[in-house]
Amino acid sequence: MENAQQDTNSPLIYLNNAATTWPKPAGVLEEVADCLRQPFYEPGRTTGDGSLHYPSAAREVLATFFHTGPPENFIFTQNATDSLNHLIHGFVKKTDVPFHAITTELEHNSVLRPLTTLEQEGAITLSVVPFTDNTVSLAAIKKAICPETRLVVMTHGSNVLGSVQDIKPIAEYLKANDIFFIVDGAQTAGHIPVDLSDIPVGAFVFTGHKALFGIPGIGGFYIPGPDAVAIIRQGGTGTDSRTLTHPIGMPERFEAGTHNYPGIASLYAGIRFITSMGLEAIGKKNTDLTRGFIRELKDIRGITIYNENPGLPVVSFDIAGIDNHDAGFILARAYNTITRTGLHCAPLVHERIDGGKGCIRASFSYFNTCDECRAAAEAIHEVAESADTQVHSD
Amino acid sequence: MKEYVLDEPLTEGFLKFLEKFGTVRSLEQLKKPYFSFEKEQFISIKGFVGDCNVEVRYKKEFQDLVADYFHLLLFYEREGERGIAKLKGVEESIRDKMKVRMGPSDGNR
Repeated sequence: MENAQQDTNSPLIYLNNAATTWPKPAGVLEEVADCLRQPFYEPGRTTGDGSLHYPSAAREVLATFFHTGPPENFIFTQNATDSLNHLIHGFVKKTDVPFHAITTELEHNSVLRPLTTLEQEGAITLSVVPFTDNTVSLAAIKKAICPETRLVVMTHGSNVLGSVQDIKPIAEYLKANDIFFIVDGAQTAGHIPVDLSDIPVGAFVFTGHKALFGIPGIGGFYIPGPDAVAIIRQGGTGTDSRTLTHPIGMPERFEAGTHNYPGIASLYAGIRFITSMGLEAIGKKNTDLTRGFIRELKDIRGITIYNENPGLPVVSFDIAGIDNHDAGFILARAYNTITRTGLHCAPLVHERIDGGKGCIRASFSYFNTCDECRAAAEAIHEVAESADTQVHSD
Repeated sequence: MKEYVLDEPLTEGFLKFLEKFGTVRSLEQLKKPYFSFEKEQFISIKGFVGDCNVEVRYKKEFQDLVADYFHLLLFYEREGERGIAKLKGVEESIRDKMKVRMGPSDGNR
């Protein structure tokens, strides 16, 4: 007996882009390779020179992409989880007295776990706002607010339901009431236009390795008013090394240690790819793929689709009579079609939609094709038809 | 999680044997009949009848105790009824070690 290697003759159909996109644009891979072929260039950390300082260049690209600036208000982290931890724990530390926070049932564990931990430690009290028709409204948020509310943390787009929240009126209301608003844009950045000059967020979180087409290990956040959040990581910044206290200027305030240069290079190239193709064109293709896939699924008996009109290219569904993990395994091994199954790190959504047992999620990118969607739907059809599950035990 | 390539394909007989030890679910109408085996606290096995590849997942908290369980299933299946009794005995001793690890419960006080 030996450890197995997957070997199949049918082409791979990758429908797990909400977890991480694949493939990456060729330009992203070239930029990462180019970045690694020469010494990293960063003033303050080297005497070498270079033509491209990736952190600065990427900040400029981000500021243009999100229609806001200054670029120094864009901070690099490892990923969206890292960003959310910086912001949530940093805000609590800065506030320094217990307060009330609000989040929603749609959230990912990268929001729920830090907030739950803080609640258990007595740093905050927490309200979790339910969703209605796959979204959370301003009215629902207002209902949860009390005099002690200081923080709202909310997803922009659900990684399970694919629904997009209308964050602008929420941001405006919260700003007017001096409540800090952290938006988790991990699923929306790169899929839909986000104009941060028009949405008065406290902070907007993004990740590099999903729809922005970067590699894993890079993410970040935009924060127009950095004084609201305490510095929770201190270290070397390549500047003012004689001083033992961490700098408070941006971006060094939130960036200690050597940057993930290949990650930043990939983010830089990924955003330039999106800009060159056009975000609207990418969005249209994703919408067409998603709608086509849903149309095919609706013709299959025994399929439950949890949101038939998602704003993101994310389709979560179940096949009657088959455990979602089994279905995902069969699709992957017998049909070379990669999805994701289970709770998708969003347990509260699943409590509402499927009683907590989880579901199958197909998620698309610009690099998927209509033929792939059709082939995946046919595979799902075959699996659904076979769902005369027999259960045996002694 | 481990994925194994067996020396011989899985058979219907092996699945019948598995039914003695846990829950087997099968989808026989697929082009390649699929099965999954679940033994709570121990392992889960997924694969296709007639294939040599199987995916085996171990319960993380008891991985050191159940690491050989899949191999034991393959071994004792060859011994028929005698193998069933022997493997049940091995299971009993593994469960005793699990109980020690989990500590006393209210039911045991």
